[in-house]
Amino acid sequence: MNKNLLIVKDLKTWFPIKSGILQRTVGYVKAVDGISFSIHKGETFGLVGESGSGKTTVARSILKLIKPIAGSVYFDNIDILNASGKELMKLRRRMQIIFQDPYASLDPRQTVNSMLIEAMKIHGVFLNRIEAHEKAIELLTKVGLSEEHLYRFPHEFSGGQRQRIAIARALVTNPEFLILDEPTSFLDVSVQASVLNLLKDLQKEYNLTYLFITHNLAVIYHMCNRVAVMYLGKIVEIANKEELFRFPMHPYTFHLIEAIPIPNPEKYKEKILLKGDVPSPVNPPSGCRFHPRCPYAKEKCKTDTPEIKEVAKDHEVACHYAGEVSFY
Amino acid sequence: MAHHISKKEVILEIKNLKVNFTTYRGIVKALNHVNLKLYAHEVLGLVGESGCGKSVTALTIVNLLPENAQVVDGQIIFKGEDLLKKSKEELRFIRASEIASIFQDPMTFLNPVLTIGEQLKEVFMLNKEALKQAIVKKKVLKRKLSYSDFLSLKKEANDVPIDNINVSKKDIKEIVKDLCIEVLKIVKLPDPERILHQYPFELSGGMRQRCMIAMALARRPSILLADEITTALDVTIQAQILHLIKELRDIIDASILLITHDIAVAAEVADRIAVMYAGDVVEVASSIDIFKNTLHPYTKMLMKSIPIIGKLTEKLEFIPGTVPDLVNPPSGCRFHPRCPYAKEKCKTDTPEIKEVAKDHEVACHLY
Amino acid sequence: MTASRFRRSEWEARIADLKFTLYFLRKNSLVISGLIMASFFIILALIANYIIDPSLAYEFDISRKLIWNNPIINFGTSSTISYTNEIFLLGTDIYGRDLLKMIILAIPLDMYVAFIITVGAAIFGVLLGAIAGYAGGKIDEILLRITDIFLAFPGIVLALVFAAMFGRTIENVMLAVLLVWWPPYVRLMRAQVLSEKEKLYVEALKALGASPFRILFKHILPNSIYPILVQMTLDYGGVILTFSALMFLGFSPSPALPELGNLASQGYFHIFDAPWLLIFPGLVIVVIALAFNLVGDGLRDALDPRLRR
Repeated sequence: MNKNLLIVKDLKTWFPIKSGILQRTVGYVKAVDGISFSIHKGETFGLVGESGSGKTTVARSILKLIKPIAGSVYFDNIDILNASGKELMKLRRRMQIIFQDPYASLDPRQTVNSMLIEAMKIHGVFLNRIEAHEKAIELLTKVGLSEEHLYRFPHEFSGGQRQRIAIARALVTNPEFLILDEPTSFLDVSVQASVLNLLKDLQKEYNLTYLFITHNLAVIYHMCNRVAVMYLGKIVEIANKEELFRFPMHPYTFHLIEAIPIPNPEKYKEKILLKGDVPSPVNPPSGCRFHPRCPYAKEKCKTDTPEIKEVAKDHEVACHYAGEVSFY
Repeated sequence: MAHHISKKEVILEIKNLKVNFTTYRGIVKALNHVNLKLYAHEVLGLVGESGCGKSVTALTIVNLLPENAQVVDGQIIFKGEDLLKKSKEELRFIRASEIASIFQDPMTFLNPVLTIGEQLKEVFMLNKEALKQAIVKKKVLKRKLSYSDFLSLKKEANDVPIDNINVSKKDIKEIVKDLCIEVLKIVKLPDPERILHQYPFELSGGMRQRCMIAMALARRPSILLADEITTALDVTIQAQILHLIKELRDIIDASILLITHDIAVAAEVADRIAVMYAGDVVEVASSIDIFKNTLHPYTKMLMKSIPIIGKLTEKLEFIPGTVPDLVNPPSGCRFHPRCPYAKEKCKTDTPEIKEVAKDHEVACHLY
Repeated sequence: MTASRFRRSEWEARIADLKFTLYFLRKNSLVISGLIMASFFIILALIANYIIDPSLAYEFDISRKLIWNNPIINFGTSSTISYTNEIFLLGTDIYGRDLLKMIILAIPLDMYVAFIITVGAAIFGVLLGAIAGYAGGKIDEILLRITDIFLAFPGIVLALVFAAMFGRTIENVMLAVLLVWWPPYVRLMRAQVLSEKEKLYVEALKALGASPFRILFKHILPNSIYPILVQMTLDYGGVILTFSALMFLGFSPSPALPELGNLASQGYFHIFDAPWLLIFPGLVIVVIALAFNLVGDGLRDALDPRLRR
C-alpha cells in the first residue's frame, strides 16, 4: 500500500469577484494559489497559517466542497476532483471533516440521535433500529458522552460537547482520514485539552490519519508530526515538527513562532515584531508574497516568486535566501 | 522590562460583588463574591475561561449590564466613591472621562457609516471643558499640543482659567483635529491624516483595534478596561497590539485591566494576574509568582492543560468535569466537584480570598 | 417495546423546546388578548352549525325585514317598528333573518375558507421558494419571474376573470385569492433558504454526503418554517378581508349566502335606514383579522432567533 494516503499537487482555488451591472468577473480572490503536499498514512499533518492564508479553503477544496480551478488531489490514488457522484460518495465515507465552530456545524433542530442515525442512513450503514441505536450509544461513549445525551438538542450542550458530537458523527462510517479545521479554536483551554486528548486516543484506536488545520502553533506542536506553514495562498515551509520549531528557515515561520505569547514571564524577552498587516488575497504582492513585511527582503524577492524546494532533509522552504539569513 | 508591582494607591476596589441574571432557565448567579483591587499605574490581567464572569465584572464596573441583570450586593470603590450607588448621569460622565473600555470586536463597536475622524471627534467633543483648556494651553505654549501635554492638562485642570475665555468654532475644530492626529500617532497608526478620512471597513482588524484604543485614550482615562481585545486577531497582529499596550502603560497615566482567556497573553503584558472561576476570584499574584508558585488547584490544572512549545507530552492534563451551571452552582467552593484536593469543608464553606504569601492571595481552604 | 420508548424520548425533547417558546408568549399581554379572541372565534366556528340551525339562512320572512329593536343601542332610524315580540340583538336583514344568527353561521365559512387559502398559498409558495433558493441560477430566475407576474395581478381583476370564465362560485373566488396570495411566500422562503444555505451545518451535511433533497427538505425547511408560520398567521386576517371584500363586491354565488362580506353588501344599499347591516358584519371581520394579527405579531417576537438560545 502506498505510504501516502493523500497527495495534493499544485492545487489552486480562486474565487471570482463580480462587479458591475452585468456581474462581470473583474478579478479573483486567489485563496489557494498552487500548493503541493502529501500526507502519510497514520500521521497527523499540521497546516498552520493566519487569516487570509487559505488554510480553510484547502480543507474544503480537498473534499470537493468547493471546486478548485486547477491542480489535483489523490486520496489512496483515487482522483477526487474528477470523481463521479458514486465514487465521491464512497470517498466521503472514508474522508470526514470536523469544523471550527461547534455552535454552527450542527443543525439546531436535530437531536443527537437523529444526527447519528441520519449519517448511518446516508451511507447505508443503517441496518435496523436496534442495531443503529446500539451503534449510536457506542459512538457516544467513545467520544466521552453517554446514552442520556441522545435525545438532546445541540443548544443544550457546551462547545466541547458539541465538538464531541461532531466527532461521533464523523466516525459513523469508520473513516480513514479526518480533516480537523480549527476544532478547538472556539473552546476553552481546559476543554481543548480534553478534546485533543480524545483525538489522540481515537487516532490510535481507529488508525486514523489527520490533517490538522489551525493558527495555534502550540496546538500544532502538541498534535502534529509534520507541519506546513501557509502564507497568502502558498505554502512557505514544510518540515518535521521539531525541525520546524527549532530551525525555521522561512522568515515568516520564524516571526510566527516569535509572536506567540509564552505563559512564562521569567522567560520573557524582547520580541522581534513583524510589521504591517496580514494582507488580503485579492491583490497579493508581486514576487514573493511575503516581501512587503519581510525584514530581509532583497530586490529579487519583489520580482521572482520563490519555488518551494527541499533545502535540508525532509525540510522544504519557499525562499530565495533560505538558510542564508540569520534571524537573530 | 520589569514586571513591577506598584504599591501605590488602590484606584479601583471591587468588594464582594454579587450579580445575578434572570433568564428563562432561572436565576444565573454569575458573580458570587468578587473581590479585586486595581492599583494605580499597573496592568492587571483578569484571566478565566468562558462563563467565569470576567466580562460581567467589566460590564458591572462601567454599568453596561443588560436589563435582566441585578447587582445584588457589593461595592465598587473608585476614587473613594461607590460606583454602584451613582446615578446614570454620573456614571455616563465617568465612562466618558475616567474609565474607558475597549472590547473584542472593533467592527461591532465602531460605527460603520462614520469615518474614523468623525468618531474620534465625537469622543473629544464629549468634554468641551478640556478642549477649551487645551486651546488656552496651546496659545500659551505657542505650539501644537502633544498627547502628553493634553494628559498633563488633566492634572493642571484647575490652574488653567477658562471662565472668561471665548473660543471660536474654528479654534475648537483645529484643536480637535490636532488631538485626533496625536492620539492616532500614539497608537502607531501609519499616516494618521489619511486614516481620519477612512471608514472602519477600509481598515484591517489590527488597525481597527488601534482606533478603538485611540478613542479610549482620547478620554484620558484613569482606567483602561480591555476586554479580550486580541482574541479576534491573528497571532502576529496580536503581538503588535500587546506590545503597544506595554508601551502605553508608560505613556499614559492609567491603570489597565486586561481581560483575557489566554493566560499567556496576560503573562506577556500584566504585572499582576487574577484568575477567576465560576464567578469568584480564586487567585491573585504577580505574574511571575503565579507561574512560579501556583497555589490554587484550578490555576494549577489550568496551566497544565495548555500545550507549550518545547514541552512534548503525550497527553495534556485536563480538568475533569465541566464548568458548573450557574443556575444551580455547587455549594461552598464552586470548584469542589472538580478539585482533586476537595475535602468536606469545601462542600459547605465558601473560601474567602486572603493573602497567604507576600502579595499573593488565594481563595482556597487548603491554605 | 423498545422502539416506542425511544420515540417518546424524542418527543420529550421537542416538548421542552416548545415550553421555551411558550415562555416568551406568556410575557406579552397583547398576544394573550389576541390569542383569547382568536380561540374564541375558532371555537365559535367549530360549534356554529350545531348551535344555530343552518337552514335558518334560507327562511325568509319579509314581514320582519330591517327591524331594529335592540333596547340598548339606538340607531335613531325609522325602521324600528316591530311587529313581533322577538328581540333581535343585531337587528334583521333584508330577508327578515336574525342578523346575529347569520353572522354566527357566516363565521365558520369565512374562517374555513381563509384557512384553506392561507395554507394552500403557503404550501405552494414555500415549495417554489425553496427550489428557487436552493437551486439558484436559471431555475431561480425563471421561478422568480413567474412569481413576479402573479404579484402584478390585482385580486379583483383575477376574480373577475375567473367569475366570467368559470362562473361565480366560492371555489373560484378562493382560487383567485390564492393565486394572488402565494407570491410573497416564494420570496420569504427563498430568502430563508438563501441564508440557511450558507450556514455551516449545511456544509457539514454536504461533507457527510447528504443529497440536496435531504438537505433541503429535512434540514433547511424545518429551520426556515418559523417566519412562514408567522406570515401565515398575519396573512390570515388579510385573506379574510380580501375574500369577504370580493364577496361584498358581488362575486357571491347567491345573495342570501351567510358570509360576512355578503351580509355587509346588503347593508351598502341601506346605509341610512339600516346601518347595522353594514356595521356588524364588518366589525366581526375586523376583529377576527385583528386577533390573528396580534397573535402573528407575538409569534414573530417569540420566534425571533436573536431572543432564543
